[in-house]
Amino acid sequence: MAEKMELNDVEVWDGNYAAAQALRQAQVDVVAAYPITPSTPIVENYGAFVANGYIDGEFVMVESEHGAMSTCVGAAAAGGRVATATSSQGFLLMVEVLYQASGMRLPIVLNVVNRALASPLNVRGDHGDMYAGRDSGWIQLDAFNAQEAYDLNFCAFKIAEDINVRLPAMVHQDGFLTSHTAQNVSPLSDDEAYAFIGDYKPVEEMLDFSKAVTYGAQTEEDWHYEHKAKQHRALMDSYVVIDRVFEEFKQKTGREYKRVESYLMEDAEVAIVALGSTVETAIQAAQELRDNEGLKAGVVAPRCFRPFPFNEIRDALADVKAVAVLDRSCPMGAMGALFNEVSAAMYTTPSRPLITNFIYGLGGRDFSLEDAKHIFREQKGHADVGYITTHIQQFSGLRGPKLGFYETKRSK
Amino acid sequence: MAITSIKNLKEFSTVNERFEGAHLLCPGCAHSMIVRELMNATDDNLVIASATGCLEVCTAVYPYTSWDTSWIHIGFENAASAATGAEAMYKARKRKGTLKDPDAPVKFVAFGGDGATYDIGFQWLSGAVERGHDFTYICLDNENYANTGGQRSSSTPIGAHTSTAQAGRVSYGKKQKKKDMVAIMAAHGAPYVAQLAPNKWKIMAKGFQKALETEGPCFINTVSACTTEWKFDPKDTIHITDLATDTLMFPIYEIIDGHELNILYRPKNVIPVEEYLAAQGRYKHLFKPENRHVIEQIQKEIDAKWEYLQRREEARV
Amino acid sequence: MKGVLATDRRGVRELGAEELVGWDEVTHGVVLNSFETELENVAHIPPEERPYSDFSSYTATVASWRVIKPVYNRDICIDCQNCWVWCPDTSIISRDKQMLGIDYDHCKGCGVCVEVCPTNPKSLLMFAEAEDPETALSQWPEKKKKEKK
Repeated sequence: MAEKMELNDVEVWDGNYAAAQALRQAQVDVVAAYPITPSTPIVENYGAFVANGYIDGEFVMVESEHGAMSTCVGAAAAGGRVATATSSQGFLLMVEVLYQASGMRLPIVLNVVNRALASPLNVRGDHGDMYAGRDSGWIQLDAFNAQEAYDLNFCAFKIAEDINVRLPAMVHQDGFLTSHTAQNVSPLSDDEAYAFIGDYKPVEEMLDFSKAVTYGAQTEEDWHYEHKAKQHRALMDSYVVIDRVFEEFKQKTGREYKRVESYLMEDAEVAIVALGSTVETAIQAAQELRDNEGLKAGVVAPRCFRPFPFNEIRDALADVKAVAVLDRSCPMGAMGALFNEVSAAMYTTPSRPLITNFIYGLGGRDFSLEDAKHIFREQKGHADVGYITTHIQQFSGLRGPKLGFYETKRSK
Repeated sequence: MAITSIKNLKEFSTVNERFEGAHLLCPGCAHSMIVRELMNATDDNLVIASATGCLEVCTAVYPYTSWDTSWIHIGFENAASAATGAEAMYKARKRKGTLKDPDAPVKFVAFGGDGATYDIGFQWLSGAVERGHDFTYICLDNENYANTGGQRSSSTPIGAHTSTAQAGRVSYGKKQKKKDMVAIMAAHGAPYVAQLAPNKWKIMAKGFQKALETEGPCFINTVSACTTEWKFDPKDTIHITDLATDTLMFPIYEIIDGHELNILYRPKNVIPVEEYLAAQGRYKHLFKPENRHVIEQIQKEIDAKWEYLQRREEARV
Repeated sequence: MKGVLATDRRGVRELGAEELVGWDEVTHGVVLNSFETELENVAHIPPEERPYSDFSSYTATVASWRVIKPVYNRDICIDCQNCWVWCPDTSIISRDKQMLGIDYDHCKGCGVCVEVCPTNPKSLLMFAEAEDPETALSQWPEKKKKEKK
């Protein structure tokens, strides 16, 4: 039997350690992993728990991230709880198998410590890897700080393993900004944490020898489409379970999560939509602008990137006049992905706010309070004149001549 | 483990098959002879992983499966990871007491073609063997990417024609030698490594049983004559395999614990390789005068390899 | 000559003739269950006693692949089981060490069984798919004399 660990009411943990503790408390059956900066400490800390008798499950250190996710898939099909962690290039190496895990409806939990994608090589945080997973059929939850990285792991297991969902889930946190920044974290006791997610309930497991089961069949044009549609439907509908699990988590801990978080939005005229640790910067900027300049600024943050909270985004931004959607990933030849999705949602509302797109923070470039304030003020300018006065896509914090693309065709 | 009696074929034939017909493998395909024999060699429960390839694509085409056991296919390169992931889960759940029937005997097996084994899945296999999982990896070696129409792999022998190493006016086919996968797997220190052939059914069944019984990672390279890409009549699969083993193109041997080499089959009359080559369309061009030197080279290399294997066996090192 | 075992579920459908159901009815996670009900120790249960599901290829037929077929002559057979061990299509039906016949639902007509048959004359020979088995048996060749070297 695994040793239990006594934890203080408040611990000082960074995001990686918080995630590692959550995996320990979830009593994962198989962790198959491969180290990569900045997610490595999750795996290392887990290794320390193994070495000191805190883990009953198997810890398989494999030869690559592709091997890690492949081993996770084999393990999950064998009917137990499975998790791993990765970042960046490692994430990309896993991508092939991400689709296979979700297609087989295996509820694996993957901690993604977000990091930029080469080339050029960079170990710092941006959301390139997170975006690379957005069509992979996984639930994607986004933590903005260490506490959330801890909490969302438990929610992820409970959502993914729910009989009505049975889909894999990622818990994202920002590389270094969250993963390596020590913060106060209020943990659950080992017993409370495990009780929240409960025992794993196997579905179509390969180790029940009374039911011969085939995983990974071929489907061609007469079957493939129906399977993909069924899987899409499961992911679209998973919001019901996500909401229920967030509610149960609130009952248990008092900490509330929503698929779209709104801050200072009650009377907001302009808003920033962002993901990750940037959200906290944007909230502070909004508060200071409210206090010092009377600018009614607010922040909207998808907690859940997949399934995309189309309705909740519409509700959150229904009454604002101008919105800046921030993408921490270079879209390479298009508008940012978050911008596109928010725009699509808002296009179907009567208000159709003015929406612009900012690319920012690539490769860990700092996104400051002043950067956020500048964006808010610019939105206020759009709101006042009633049209977008700048390029629709701009770059925040970029050296060199001002870079921007596309101008509005709505009447001035 | 519970093993099937292989004392003679009559005894062996009393097993209840767990690999069903109406799969889509070509008529005369050796893959299914090998797979059937593996599954028939034990009556333990099996968890089988298959790499993308002929076997996978022909035995699990929705809505049909030919497997009466647990079976999984993930991708081309990761059959070893799929099998060993399941094996890791088995260990974890056995320890935790969450298995439905904790006493049910089970064996973990992965199948891959030579493309999956020698090429694209090489790293995954190496990792799984290094980690020491208790599983058996069986390569169905037909020396080309048959599932995609016969391209070269690193298992394709020198001189063979494939669609990506073609024989033509200025080319005698593949220029490079076949990779020695058996030696590479033995070098991992795997407890049991062998090269076996379905024509020698008893030696193959014994080898399979030995691999399944051995704790730890085992690797078996099986010769799988490919009627479609080697270009011979489907009825001749066993005849061609006889030529493969009796010309010593495919010597049958095992390596225990990475060093102890035993030759498992010594042909009474060693046949010149020319006969083996002449029986297959993929080597037809070698019989042109300008390519004859390749046949000589192949024969020389077979002789040298056989000499090497015998000396290794005698040396008992 | 003993007949092939009667099995209701074997080879009842042509591949591709299965019902195409909608997205709401396809299986969870593309998983296929081989049997309708729980079945322990499959290796100890003969095929004709297994509750094969519609997903098992046992219930499908590839008979239409054949242009030639093996015909079995029980009178000559020595039950050596060569044909059984090397059949790539699980189509030689052997029970209790006896060869009972050919599973024509799953046989693709490769002819391997005929090649590996050691009797003289062979107990298995290839005939045109349309050939009537009784006629085929009536045309069976005589024992061949050993050729002098």
